[in-house]
Amino acid sequence: MTLSLWSLMMLIPSGLTVDEFETLHAQLQPAEDEAWRTIPWKVSLVEAQAAAARERKPIFIWAMDGHPLGCT
Amino acid sequence: MLDRASTFADPTIVSLLQTKFVPVAIDQFYQRQQKDAEGDFYRRIASQGPRKNVNGTTQGLYIATAEGKLLAFNNNRGPERIRRLLEQSLKDIQQVSVTPIEPGAADPRFARTPPQGGLVVRVTAKVLGGYEEADDQWQQIFQSALARDNLWIRKDEHEALVRGELLDSLKRRIAQFHLIDNTRGEPPLWDAADIRKLDLKLDGGKLTGTVQLETKSGDRGYHADLFGFVETNNGRVVRLDLVAKGMFWGDGTYTRGAPKGRFPLAVAFTLATGEDEADRVPPQGTKGWLPSYIR
Repeated sequence: MTLSLWSLMMLIPSGLTVDEFETLHAQLQPAEDEAWRTIPWKVSLVEAQAAAARERKPIFIWAMDGHPLGCT
Repeated sequence: MLDRASTFADPTIVSLLQTKFVPVAIDQFYQRQQKDAEGDFYRRIASQGPRKNVNGTTQGLYIATAEGKLLAFNNNRGPERIRRLLEQSLKDIQQVSVTPIEPGAADPRFARTPPQGGLVVRVTAKVLGGYEEADDQWQQIFQSALARDNLWIRKDEHEALVRGELLDSLKRRIAQFHLIDNTRGEPPLWDAADIRKLDLKLDGGKLTGTVQLETKSGDRGYHADLFGFVETNNGRVVRLDLVAKGMFWGDGTYTRGAPKGRFPLAVAFTLATGEDEADRVPPQGTKGWLPSYIR
């Protein structure tokens, strides 16, 4: 009987406490000062072209499979 | 993930991109296929590189003029090479007057805009343990990675949240498209049939629940608890914070290298402010077919 209860406890998630929620939620926020986040990325190539034409700068394109600001 | 922690962590590269270039980040799956101004301009640049076949991936780092002339291409990691290419491009570029491209109408097959009257929610995911110790720099980056995606909420779902209700469509979208391990690349999503149990409730501003996700073959799954808060003000949701924590197992074609067996994975949700350009990125789940995501 004890073993069955233990097995059951291992199978059923235990639930999140408010403390765990707050800790994890904070832990999973990206740091504002990460270097790559300080780069003023645009997400539209046409908008980048317009800015490049206006500011007379070259365009740097980070083109990936999956969005680079997301999962890649 | 790898580029963020290597190339785009290099102080010289960061400084050059902040001041001397117009940096843009794209999922080229869209641009190489779009029949519109955005796609035309991308293909003009990409076709000058080594990956001329736009029916397959054209991923890489491109440096181009506003006219669309390719100055440099690279698809190898390493800050030294990129630094050299950036500096050389600044020497090579000839300043001419260029007219901005008219955006025109976006190709409707690939157009992705957040639902009007809805919400954008930032979603982050992290593997909390289970990896074997790695000496390889790239493996270490993957192992500590924080993945990012966006969740889109429809107007009617937003209005329901304001009333204190959580619609089934939103529950399903959260489970099917956002309780995933996307920390090592583009992840496989869940089929509707993979949702074995989904019990998520909103009661008195508190979100609580459990979810069990598992593929038919059982090679991938996630059993997790969920907890969070929803707050409203003047008919709008002003806080939507949610955390899922549980045990995940398995990986996908582009997310190889997961910890062996079951490992702890957490996923966090928080309302986007719109101040971050990344808030404009469409959810990974909309890739391929938007209606299946937003239904």
